[in-house]
Amino acid sequence: MKEEELYRYSDTVNELLARYGVKFGIYKNGIFKEQLFPFDMIPRKIGKDEFNYLEKGLKQRVMALNEFIKDIYGDKKIIRDKVVPEEFVYMGSGYLAQCEGVTPPNGIYTHISGIDLVQAKDGEWYILEDNLRIPSGASYPMIARDICRRSSPATFKNNSICDNRNYAKLLRKTMDYVNAGGHTVILSPGRYNAAYFEHSYLAEQTGAHLVTGNEIVVENDNLYFIDYSGRKERVGAVYRRISDEYLDPMNFNPESVIGIPHIYDIYRKGNVALINAPGNGVADDKGIYYFVPKMIKYYLDEEPILNNAPTYLPFYEKDMEYVLEHFDDLVLKDVAEAGGYGVVFGNSMTKDEKEKFIGMLKAEPRRFIAQEVIDFLDIDICDEGKVVPRKADLRAFVLMADEPMVWRSGLTRFSRNPDSFIVNSSQGGGFKDTWVLEE
Amino acid sequence: MRKLKFQYRMQLSFSKPVNRHHFTLRCFPKDSERQQIENQEVKIEPSYDGGDKTDSFGNLCKYGVVEKEHSEFVVNVTGTVCVNGSQFQPVYEKHKVGMFRYHTALTKKGPTIENIYNKCKDKDLSTENFPYIPGISDADNIKNIENNEGSIEVIRRAYYFMNVVHDCLEYAPGITQVNTTAEEAATLGSGVCQDYSHIMLSLLRMEHIPCRYVAGMMMGEGASHAWVEVCDGEKWVAFDPTNNCMVDDSYICISNGRDAKDCTINQGYFYGLPEQVQEIHVLVENVEDEYTNI
Repeated sequence: MKEEELYRYSDTVNELLARYGVKFGIYKNGIFKEQLFPFDMIPRKIGKDEFNYLEKGLKQRVMALNEFIKDIYGDKKIIRDKVVPEEFVYMGSGYLAQCEGVTPPNGIYTHISGIDLVQAKDGEWYILEDNLRIPSGASYPMIARDICRRSSPATFKNNSICDNRNYAKLLRKTMDYVNAGGHTVILSPGRYNAAYFEHSYLAEQTGAHLVTGNEIVVENDNLYFIDYSGRKERVGAVYRRISDEYLDPMNFNPESVIGIPHIYDIYRKGNVALINAPGNGVADDKGIYYFVPKMIKYYLDEEPILNNAPTYLPFYEKDMEYVLEHFDDLVLKDVAEAGGYGVVFGNSMTKDEKEKFIGMLKAEPRRFIAQEVIDFLDIDICDEGKVVPRKADLRAFVLMADEPMVWRSGLTRFSRNPDSFIVNSSQGGGFKDTWVLEE
Repeated sequence: MRKLKFQYRMQLSFSKPVNRHHFTLRCFPKDSERQQIENQEVKIEPSYDGGDKTDSFGNLCKYGVVEKEHSEFVVNVTGTVCVNGSQFQPVYEKHKVGMFRYHTALTKKGPTIENIYNKCKDKDLSTENFPYIPGISDADNIKNIENNEGSIEVIRRAYYFMNVVHDCLEYAPGITQVNTTAEEAATLGSGVCQDYSHIMLSLLRMEHIPCRYVAGMMMGEGASHAWVEVCDGEKWVAFDPTNNCMVDDSYICISNGRDAKDCTINQGYFYGLPEQVQEIHVLVENVEDEYTNI
């Protein structure tokens, strides 16, 4: 039986995904809108050897990123040795002075990383982005695979595909490894968060409690979960899906009403683990991205296995010259933006826009990076019954317990618009299952 | 060396009772090269559940929660402090002062500060045109600065910026707030010690000079005080732009950070919608009214 057998169930699978609430929330002009995250039945397939290569490279990268964050909030050797200029650290939005001198349980800052890769037409893989703060998306291929297996068990019996149902196990191991003693909870801002489906699904799959801010409380320098009868039980690990600034009104944004007062104070004392560690956004800034290959050499004394997309920092004069000369061939990214916002292609600008942009670039060179436009390998999607090629990326998930672990699957996102390179779900893209083959 | 006795009292009064009142207090002087604290006593009322911590800038904090209803929250800190004649804090790990070189939301420049800066940036600070730190009575202080290996240029620059800041602001309480930015205060042309300090930080950071905000107390009776420390490469040197002078041994440091926000004396979070009034009363006196040389 061939995999095409599976395609017959496209409508059923999408209907089931909708019924399970596989949705993505978007705030547009202040209004919260939920939309279905369209699922394409044609899987993206990655061969065993190819994935082994990616796995090695991803582990290496995340190890280096973790060392970098530890160093930045500690000894700052990489600044002292002038490998990373300090302005890229201190002026980045991810750097939090409150994290200086704080060591998280077992020294882990990057518990769950979502590393975005693309494959070029020549087959070469490039890292596009490291998402370290609260990377989301693992739940989508998890549930899609589950429903596909039910729709067409034979497809999965007859094709050697790595079973990806272990994500919950990997996540549980990651959370347990740093647990400071007590329950594990997943902290969600609540129902109206863009990724609420994922919060609830991961809680269900890992057996963690799904909580909001008013169900956990700090007392006697410990964190407690208050159950329905009012009984308090100690919490040792919080997989928080709330961004740093809203996590604790006493330590970060004082206006946060979804945070837990003093949670950061007891984290500082080692009485609870926060997953991912606050302040780790210092390493997923688009400006810092440029330096990741250098970090790998600096901390691990290894050559980077996976390459960055060729990137220029207008901050350096030489790079600025190059950028101005090759403006039309490059894509420019605002380092402070995420989710596909603040990305412009040099050749898509009018003359006026270009002039204005170059003015901005010269005034604030640190704010932008420029990259060569990679000619992505198109992958097939099924659009209204027809198979058509579209741009796609891969978000690989790397989890860190006593050692880094790469989930043998991932979130493949594609652009539904044939002319677009931007695959972010917040920009209307869809997703696919990612099959890592066993042979 | 001088021995000072201090009383620090902060009272929060609520028009209606509040409950579940979380707080972080940052009003406890701590030991350093320049000051040694003796017999410090802290009284916080009502009683609370909480703990102590040292924040990322090395400032001492007490935090906790008052669960039950209350209309008043009072903190009393008393003690004695020995302040050294030498006013410098050595910098041991120079590559770590970098964070103090960059603007924060409160020190960010705008057109007014840019204008002030442009008017003074080219001033010739060579010895003939700008006698080195004039009007400083404490000869030891100057000698100490010169004997250290830091950059004299940085100290001259900072001293000059202090003069400029002092002249561009009128001291007037009640006009600016805790969240007034350097730019807003400079535009208003008036403010208090916090505003003087923020503008000075802003000017220094435009030149990439690492500098930090210091909250503390000074001799006399009244409110708490704030000033600026500048890193000359080897040490932190303290300037008081509000009084246009170098900080001497009549000042007690409480906390430091990139700006006033890092040094927030009392941060609170409670249930209830009352009007609230915060009163701070500080008294610093000499214990022995003479200088003792060591």
